[in-house]
Amino acid sequence: MRRLKELGNALMVGLYRHLPWLAERWARHHRFVETEGIPWAPLKKPLREAVIALVTTAGVHMETQPPFDMDDPGGDPSFRVIPSDVKEEEVVITHKYYDHSAADKDLNVVLPLYRLKEFEAEGMIGGIAPFVYSFMGHIDGPHVATLVEKTAPEVARRLKRDGAEAVFLTPA
Amino acid sequence: MGLLQRAIEAIGIPTIGITLKKEVTKKVKPPRALYLHYPFGHPLGEAFAVKQQRTILLEALGALETVKEPGTILEPSYRWRRHRFE
Repeated sequence: MRRLKELGNALMVGLYRHLPWLAERWARHHRFVETEGIPWAPLKKPLREAVIALVTTAGVHMETQPPFDMDDPGGDPSFRVIPSDVKEEEVVITHKYYDHSAADKDLNVVLPLYRLKEFEAEGMIGGIAPFVYSFMGHIDGPHVATLVEKTAPEVARRLKRDGAEAVFLTPA
Repeated sequence: MGLLQRAIEAIGIPTIGITLKKEVTKKVKPPRALYLHYPFGHPLGEAFAVKQQRTILLEALGALETVKEPGTILEPSYRWRRHRFE
């Protein structure tokens, strides 16, 4: 039975990877958390003076860190802390629900650390926050509450502590 | 990703996120988003396409200065594999 479930899961993952419209259809019909109001924090200084942090839900982590849990159909609401001076070869992606072959070749496709470093060198931004926070997205069921109540606010507090003055987020 | 973005904005840090799923973004309502009609796994475009990645990143960061209306979803016309990035 377990094997059959695993097989079914593998089949769905394969379908999602090769037929992007299926995922779009899923997104249209899936019940997402409806929210009230929109939080708002204006940028307090010009972009060329602001410290920017990167946050991603593309399942990026360092090779030395535990991978995200791909067996739980509800996803994995935990996060990994990656130093912003990480080398590209130290980073891997664990995510079965999207085709990350392009990002495996060039991390900037999902996490534009090198592009951001160019902007910093060119004086277009003030600086880069010391850490990247990485999630895997695809979170469902009870893990949504864990994300909203625990891990997301924790990352927000960490970003504040890191001195981040604006955050750029990328999905899978 | 929108829920995470909202939590960060709520603590007082301005945020901008790329979205490849506009319908979801409309429901989750992050403060600022940039929508691209690109396949999943390509929020910054294609591998080694430096001009494309720079353009998208700059456009998104620029929104932190220009967007004044909470919930704005920007839609630049960078068509997948059609747009020429200069």
